[in-house]
Amino acid sequence: MSLFGPGNLEFKPNAETIICLCICFVVALVFVIGGILARKQDPTKPSKGLLFLLEWAVEKVDNFTATSMGEGFPNFGGVVLPIICFLFLNFVIGISGLPTPMAYLPIPLALGLFTFLMIHITSIRYTKWSYFKRYIDPIPIFLPINLLSMWSPLLSLSLRLFGNAISGYVLLTLTNWGLKNAATVLTGLTGGPEAMVLIPIATPLLHAYFDVFSSFIQTLVFISLSCLFIAQERPEQDMQLAVGSRKES
Amino acid sequence: MTDLGLIAIAAAIAIFSSGCSSIGEGLLISKAMEGMARNPAAAKDLRSSMILGAALVETCGIYALLISILIIFILPGYIH
Repeated sequence: MSLFGPGNLEFKPNAETIICLCICFVVALVFVIGGILARKQDPTKPSKGLLFLLEWAVEKVDNFTATSMGEGFPNFGGVVLPIICFLFLNFVIGISGLPTPMAYLPIPLALGLFTFLMIHITSIRYTKWSYFKRYIDPIPIFLPINLLSMWSPLLSLSLRLFGNAISGYVLLTLTNWGLKNAATVLTGLTGGPEAMVLIPIATPLLHAYFDVFSSFIQTLVFISLSCLFIAQERPEQDMQLAVGSRKES
Repeated sequence: MTDLGLIAIAAAIAIFSSGCSSIGEGLLISKAMEGMARNPAAAKDLRSSMILGAALVETCGIYALLISILIIFILPGYIH
């Protein structure tokens, strides 16, 4: 079975990909509408409605990236904010009873791949040819270890999201199954109505923890870790030189 | 002992790591609480760092849960 064999690159829609594309479309639409509103807005008047919300979010995210990444990454909030919206909505959609797209490995893998690519692009951008020095970091014997550890951000970021989503999904499914059987034993109902006896008591709390709280925390962790990983690729002592050379050119 | 029983034991061993990570999480939270009690002015910063650290420590337990879920649901398909 090869990765690029026939049939593996076809688009096979399932529920998760369709929900994920819908969320992508909605987030893009909100940002486009926000951009149109911001162009029409009179800068002397206070903004309200959607524009006020977006301005608040943009300010918060800009502050967050400025404090966690330092000065070398202007406009990075423009990348972080759509990812926050996309990730949070993809996680929290599980509360509606739809399948969570995060529990489908390609979607967290794509988010992890973004951070992985940004790490290497930032490294190449700031260190140019000495980028390849990172693979033989202390001595050349470390080459295989460094080649393996190169993949650890991708794996840890994507598997953290996937593991959280799938564990919540499995625990909720097991709880619902158990409560349904318990209700059958207690009341003697079968064929559907027994699901209404015990499940509504227990699931709201589990949904609140595994969907809302977990998605909030995982979004925070994913964004913080991505910012840290990307920001640590910039060498501190070369910062002034890099800024100076860019100004000259 | 059947193959399914052996798979269940393997999953139980895999989930052991989750218990270890919960010990680490307890240590982390107790230290953070100590810091908050000593310096209540820094409680806000400590709380956000603590939640971030707890989520990082929890990752180990989640990997263990993932592996044991894979062992339980995927492995029985390969033994027959």
